[in-house]
Amino acid sequence: MAGITLDRVVKRYGKLEVVHGIDLEIGHNEFVVLVGPSGCGKSTTLRMIAGLEDISDGDIRIGERVVNDLPPRKRNVSMVFQNYALYPHMNVRDNLGFGLKIAGQPAKVIEERVAEAAGILGLSELMDRIPAELSGGQRQRVAMGRAIVRHPDAFLFDEPLSNLDAKLRVQMRTEIKKLHGKVATTVVYVTHDQVEAMTLADRIVVMKDGYIEQVGTPMEVFNHPVNTFVASFIGSPPMNLIPGRIEGGEVRFSGGGTVPVPGRLKEHVRGGQEVIFGVRPDDLSPIGHGIHEARETCEIDLTVELAELLGTETLIYTSLAGQEIQGKMFDPRDLKVGETLTFRLSLDKAHLFDAATGRSVRPR
Amino acid sequence: MTRALKKRLKATALWLTTFVLMIVMCVPGLWVVLSAFRPNREILAKPPVWVPQDLTLRNFTKIFGIGEETVAIPVLSYFWNSLVIATTSTVIALIIGMAGGYAFARFRFRFKNAWFLGLMLFRTVPGIALSLPVFMLWSRLGIIDTQMGLIIVYVSLNVPFTVWLIDGFFRQIPMSLSEAAQVDGCTRWQAFWKIEFPLAKSGIAAAGVFAFLTSWNEFALASQLTRSTDSKTLPVGLMDFTSQFTIDWAGMCAMAVIIIVPALILTFLVQKHLIAGLTFGGVKG
Amino acid sequence: MTRFFRTRQAALTPLLLLSPAILTMLFVVAIPLVFSFYTSLTPYRLTRPETIETFIGFRNYVRLWEDAAFWAAFWRTILFLVIALNVEFLLGLGIALLINKITWGQRTLRTIMMFPMMFSPILVGFQFKFIFNDNIGIVNNALQSMGIIDFAIPWLVDARLAMFSIIFAEVWMSTSVFAILLLAGLFAMPRDPLEAAKVDGCNAWQTFRHITLPFIMPFAFIAMTIRSLDVARAYDIVQVMTDGGPAGRTELLWTLIARVGYENARMGQANAMAYVSTILSIAFTYFFFTKLVAARRYMGGAE
Repeated sequence: MAGITLDRVVKRYGKLEVVHGIDLEIGHNEFVVLVGPSGCGKSTTLRMIAGLEDISDGDIRIGERVVNDLPPRKRNVSMVFQNYALYPHMNVRDNLGFGLKIAGQPAKVIEERVAEAAGILGLSELMDRIPAELSGGQRQRVAMGRAIVRHPDAFLFDEPLSNLDAKLRVQMRTEIKKLHGKVATTVVYVTHDQVEAMTLADRIVVMKDGYIEQVGTPMEVFNHPVNTFVASFIGSPPMNLIPGRIEGGEVRFSGGGTVPVPGRLKEHVRGGQEVIFGVRPDDLSPIGHGIHEARETCEIDLTVELAELLGTETLIYTSLAGQEIQGKMFDPRDLKVGETLTFRLSLDKAHLFDAATGRSVRPR
Repeated sequence: MTRALKKRLKATALWLTTFVLMIVMCVPGLWVVLSAFRPNREILAKPPVWVPQDLTLRNFTKIFGIGEETVAIPVLSYFWNSLVIATTSTVIALIIGMAGGYAFARFRFRFKNAWFLGLMLFRTVPGIALSLPVFMLWSRLGIIDTQMGLIIVYVSLNVPFTVWLIDGFFRQIPMSLSEAAQVDGCTRWQAFWKIEFPLAKSGIAAAGVFAFLTSWNEFALASQLTRSTDSKTLPVGLMDFTSQFTIDWAGMCAMAVIIIVPALILTFLVQKHLIAGLTFGGVKG
Repeated sequence: MTRFFRTRQAALTPLLLLSPAILTMLFVVAIPLVFSFYTSLTPYRLTRPETIETFIGFRNYVRLWEDAAFWAAFWRTILFLVIALNVEFLLGLGIALLINKITWGQRTLRTIMMFPMMFSPILVGFQFKFIFNDNIGIVNNALQSMGIIDFAIPWLVDARLAMFSIIFAEVWMSTSVFAILLLAGLFAMPRDPLEAAKVDGCNAWQTFRHITLPFIMPFAFIAMTIRSLDVARAYDIVQVMTDGGPAGRTELLWTLIARVGYENARMGQANAMAYVSTILSIAFTYFFFTKLVAARRYMGGAE
């Protein structure tokens, strides 16, 4: 059993603190994704778990062991790097077997495990090539193979897909997910791509500026963002956020116009409170072109400023209360720029955040 | 004039210019090499003998003391001294340079740029200027006219450059390779020898050749710090051929060939890495 | 506790790795330099060892200030460096551009170009002493055989011609440093800006002036920095070609130092000169190094 526990972990470079005492419990065989914009401390956190960076304060435990002062080699984790970090002077077989060889495993064991990993990842044909002779996706697979041969307590992934082109990225994403199914192990995965986070994770950890903003399953994070940052970071296109103030059961937007306060949130706001109203483009569609069977809705007239046909849906750019927002039209028809349509807004999917703190008015 | 003709004229001009440049570049060296195989009589002939009539190895046998005619110059000991001094100082400078270069390439530390600049500035001290105090100190230490005395000096002459070159080569190797090896179970030391060193090997070899050539060719310091066959090197020995009034041209040419041949071979072996090292070290600094 | 020590240790590792380099430089360069500075404040003569204990302050430097021979050598050295470095740069640039254009046999040309770099300066000096010899040198022999001249040109005997011959030797030896580094720069140059300039209507000269030249300047400064590290090697060339003659007309700072220090045994005075020459070298190197750092900023985007 090897979960990973971070207990008030701090990272300082000289006087500059980049990770501010984060707490995190990662369960055995759980797939956890650390996601956030660049510079949020997610890679640093991963490198601290790997032992590539010293921790300045707090404790990291892998299983029952406190590993604070253990060098990487004694932590029994393996890591897949952003640029793969394959050893250029070794062929695929030697790359895969390197860790076992260093550990002094007998040649027979190395051979078996390398063959096993190669089988899982479909590398058997490529064993004698050197990294320079491999394509991007193949290199990626070798990097993963190198990670699994050692049967480590945890896999660490540092933005492993960011060097691949879009199509390959989707393909490798599925392979990583499948791999986790085959080789059940604890995984910590770092990415800045929220789609990757949503599709891969058992639990998502959203980070910003060295703090953890929210931890939860993809559904929780998507449906119940705790603050405006998470709301705008998770989901694409991002949630529309419109500032306003509570007045008699309605949200009055600073730029003019009102919508009712969603029923489930009524008890959580008070009159005169400055708020930010949030609604995802998916929950704002012209009447007859929505997807939700919402119980609580309101209707607003909006003018189409630009329409992007995406296939099964059309993304509509418009503005509300002087602010640019987006809506979606499912089962689309032709649209004219300048056309005014009546949109239905699903209030039971809408969010309210306190304007001063940015926090959701109804934390879960 | 047609376009095609113009183009052809241009190509011809280009070729001619290059040809002339090549001649200017090669003829002096080739002339010395050719003269090494001619007897003094022919070199001194008036009017000049353009086409060699008498090609001979006598100049070489003479300076190595083979055969009846010999020159009273102990070229063999000079050669041996040069070889020992250049090799030893290169090996030491490489080890020191690898440690230093690795430190610059892989670690962040305070005053890094100042250390680096300081190291390079020490290297700028002109050899002859450095020779004065070193001469005085070495006489006190009793290591004037010893191989060790020169080896120490040459190590310090080469360290800044090897540090610079090797720093550049290590920097081209992504840091994540060493990290991957450490996660894979290596100590930092193992990661260095199993991953980073093999990848930087050819670059380090180039730095070694550079250091070797510097020591092999050095004259200013050697001419003051050596006295006898105990430590005199080939470049200093070359001056033995000139006396107040006469110069043994043929002998000197032969000696020049002996000095240049090892240098030629070594440089050709590593020329590619040498250029790469010099440019990357500087541009990406 | 362990954490404290681990952090300390991590900070010490690079210094530990650097210490052999630093110690060597201290022992062989820094300490001698300090010693040589002290000596320059004494009237030390090799022939009278006790004179090293007499302290005379900056009198050696004052004497330098009034020494016409020193100033002549000083300015001649500056002139020598300025001419040599500029000619080497221009020639090197020309050769690099030429070879960059040539497609057939480029590798061979590049290899031949490296030829002079392997020559020790003392060999270069000897080689040109041989070639410029007024009696048996190939230059005079060729000119006379072709009937261009009917007398021997005193290449190494006439003061001006001797200076020319020395600079020629120096340029021959070091042009390839520039050519090779500039060629590397040309190879590394991306095609896009060149094509963009063509589309924008630049002619060949304008493209060269505004695109190519700025791009390869960092490479030129690397060459300059490398060169200024070893300009003093010219000592070897002069030593073997003219030994500072005729009548001191090709005396450079470095040969003057050797003459005063070893031949005249006036170590104190020679050390004062050596200090001046060292500062001169450091100034040259530092100047080009700052230029290099400045020019390197362009390169940021190209990495």
